[in-house]
Amino acid sequence: MIISSSKSFEEILENLDNPGKIFVLGCGVCATKLHVGGEPEVEAMCRKLREAGKEVIGGGVAKAACSIKSKESLLENDPAIEKADTIIVMSCGSGLSVVSSLVDVPVHPATNTDSLGGYSEGHVRKDLCAMCGSCIADFFGGVCPTARCPKGLMNGPCGGAMEGKCEVDPDGDCAWELIYLRLKEIGRLDLLERIFEPKEYNG
Amino acid sequence: MSLKTNVTYYPAMPSAFKDKLLSDDFVITSEISPPKGVDVSSAFEEAGLVGNYVDAFNVTDNQRAVMRMSSLAMGRLLKEQGLDVILQLTCRDRNRLALQSDLLGAYALGMENICIMSGDYPTKGDNPGTKPVYDLDSVQLLGATSRLEGGYDIAGNPLESVPSFTKGAVCNTEPDQPLQLMKLEKKARMGIDFFQTQAVYDIGHFETFMDSISHMEVPVLAGLIPLKSAHMARFMNDKIPGIRVGDELIERMEASTDPAEEGLLICAEQIRELRKVCRGIHLMPIGHYRHITALFEIAGLHEKN
Repeated sequence: MIISSSKSFEEILENLDNPGKIFVLGCGVCATKLHVGGEPEVEAMCRKLREAGKEVIGGGVAKAACSIKSKESLLENDPAIEKADTIIVMSCGSGLSVVSSLVDVPVHPATNTDSLGGYSEGHVRKDLCAMCGSCIADFFGGVCPTARCPKGLMNGPCGGAMEGKCEVDPDGDCAWELIYLRLKEIGRLDLLERIFEPKEYNG
Repeated sequence: MSLKTNVTYYPAMPSAFKDKLLSDDFVITSEISPPKGVDVSSAFEEAGLVGNYVDAFNVTDNQRAVMRMSSLAMGRLLKEQGLDVILQLTCRDRNRLALQSDLLGAYALGMENICIMSGDYPTKGDNPGTKPVYDLDSVQLLGATSRLEGGYDIAGNPLESVPSFTKGAVCNTEPDQPLQLMKLEKKARMGIDFFQTQAVYDIGHFETFMDSISHMEVPVLAGLIPLKSAHMARFMNDKIPGIRVGDELIERMEASTDPAEEGLLICAEQIRELRKVCRGIHLMPIGHYRHITALFEIAGLHEKN
């Protein structure tokens, strides 16, 4: 799941320069689950824009903004989009990019795209994966250091962790502490001895 | 105008610092920070105050993620003053191209001693919006350095000429932290000539640490930061990972009428104890240079020839 968070309404307004007729498009997948781009959020956005004196001609939620097949299928969703001078997209950056490639008017994001993560046990879990290709998370008990250690250290923790907490976010767990606990739990502490070569970024 | 120029190449001399590490002498290094600016005179002054007591100066690399003059430039300038230099290199600021190219440049400028570390995260420093690099971690950078010494860059391309470094790395002194020990072992496996530790205050604890790594047979330079006040001791306990100042020392600092002087006395006592258990010390005076000569004399460390 792509983790997105809402931009402040002030920032969205600031970026609208003579927007003309606005259409607000949400996304039915991650953004809906995270409550940053589902139907209630799209409705609220339309209302707030109108209250701010903007002309809103419609709003809707695409099934999945990142995989809208064509301009025709975008219009099937709501033909009003064709009359829009500006589209505000409430999805991740890939959803916004797909929408932008299908229309010929300015497209603005209403969310910030934070990371690849998950949502379980009632909590949003950010930064679970760095999408680096060639996955080796199994050597780290399923806790990816590239994604979850701010320094991406593959051969052990930095000297900055204190009592299992991260140097960068003292309220957050040190990824290496999590790796250690998990490997201990599954009886594979031997994996800690392996030296990992630098990551290749060319494929 | 002739295009012929007098090119000065400074191939690193056989490392005087490495000879010291291999000798029986107690090794002393001290930290020098490059200026946050372009005038190196106060760094020269600080180095000059203690230069006769110190085997090599460890030149910091944007320490605590605070932007300063490059350690490479500062190191070369200290070298020209006749001082031996250990160049710090962090993984935070450079990708593998830049790290390898700085290593070759350092060697060509006569700086064969290096000390490698991950580097504090940019949000801890004075340019918190910096894009952090960490293309290599410290274990991988040590591996890359060994590879350069073997005549190849990290991607396996041959070098035209080959450096030979004296390689150091940093460590905490926590014998009860399996992950820290595991990483220290990995650094040793990549080829290392010395370890430099976080500040030590509890000698007994440090001895246990030394016992736990004795199988590696790597020379260890114990970090020392003279205490200035009880407040500073408590602050470090709370905020600096890997530092543990015991209650007894904090009480001594509190009871003293001249805490800065007491801090130097404590430090001198520690130096006398550390002479029995490790190869040397690495002093981090943090603005305390004027008092360091006195510290060395109290500790029984005299000017070198």
